[in-house]
Amino acid sequence: MPKHFYLHLKMELKNHLFDYLLLFTAGIFFLILLNIFRGQRVIEFFVLVSFAFFYIIWGVYHHIINETLHLKTVVEYILIAFIIIFLLKIIILP
Amino acid sequence: MEKIKTFIHHLFIPHEENNFRAKSLHTDFLTVYLVIAFLMMLVFKQGNIRDVLGFATDISVEKLAQLTNEQRQKNNLPSLSMNSALSLAAQKKAENMFQENYWSHYSPDGKTPWDFILGAGYKYEYAGENLAKNFLFSNGVVDAWMNSTAGHRENILKREYTEVGYAIVNGILNGEQTTLVVQEFGKPITSSFTPPAVQASESIIVPVQPKISALNFSFNLNVIFMAFLLLALVLDLYYASKFNVIRIAGKNTAHLLFIIFILIGLFMSTIGTII
Repeated sequence: MPKHFYLHLKMELKNHLFDYLLLFTAGIFFLILLNIFRGQRVIEFFVLVSFAFFYIIWGVYHHIINETLHLKTVVEYILIAFIIIFLLKIIILP
Repeated sequence: MEKIKTFIHHLFIPHEENNFRAKSLHTDFLTVYLVIAFLMMLVFKQGNIRDVLGFATDISVEKLAQLTNEQRQKNNLPSLSMNSALSLAAQKKAENMFQENYWSHYSPDGKTPWDFILGAGYKYEYAGENLAKNFLFSNGVVDAWMNSTAGHRENILKREYTEVGYAIVNGILNGEQTTLVVQEFGKPITSSFTPPAVQASESIIVPVQPKISALNFSFNLNVIFMAFLLLALVLDLYYASKFNVIRIAGKNTAHLLFIIFILIGLFMSTIGTII
């Protein structure tokens, strides 16, 4: 991995350790719930939607804390979350 | 050629002309992806890729038989031939599991796999059963059986078996929409054994054919799209860190983490359970 890329990632994670730990924990929680409710499609989809909404809230929170909140940024998080929801709905709950 | 190169550069590499953010990650592009994803969702819903109860699986008897025989050939074992009596037994077993609401080789009232096989008119010297539920793809089912240490692998690779029958049946099990896969193995007691003609009905099996390619296609499309998004995010992050770009945008590191978790979840959702 190139040094500048590694340093950037390291600094980003170090400067916002709590935020990323929160996101990582939510991700692990998401996978655990998917595993528990494996095969129960409605609940699987509900878990996915919950994680996607958590992600949007996380994004807003993260940028508020860092005083970098901008409408464009919020829209970006919403768009990515909803793209994922729509795509996975085809698989999980057609 | 130069135009394509410029376009790809514009699409993935942050520079002055794309406001120091890969064009493929701009909100207008993301909006286009969202509209495409939404339209796809509607098309797949209208395109009847599911049956009335809303099951979505890409499992077929032909594929299961092919994959099972491939595993046997890899282990220098003869292929299993399809037997309609065993398929009928598998069908009856699956129907019974839905009717009596159980997920086991043995029914609550004590019916064994052998009862179903004998009930279908198959007199066996050797017989066995594999069960699976809620898998999305045939290869997931066979892979899970092959990786199992609970006798499924032994069933598939048992030298004594000469014939096999399958059933793929949708229904409600424990209140949940479930796709059951039943695989019955056997070796008839005499070589002259022929199953009763009346039970040799292929139409009893419930194949989930019309939606097969659609589900497979949408799954692959999901993986390809997420891989594209990951590539765009990594390249954008790489060059932004290289050029020390400061900009107003979402955090690529967070997007990457989110999509990686979603991808793991997507693959997890293809895996069902076996007994």
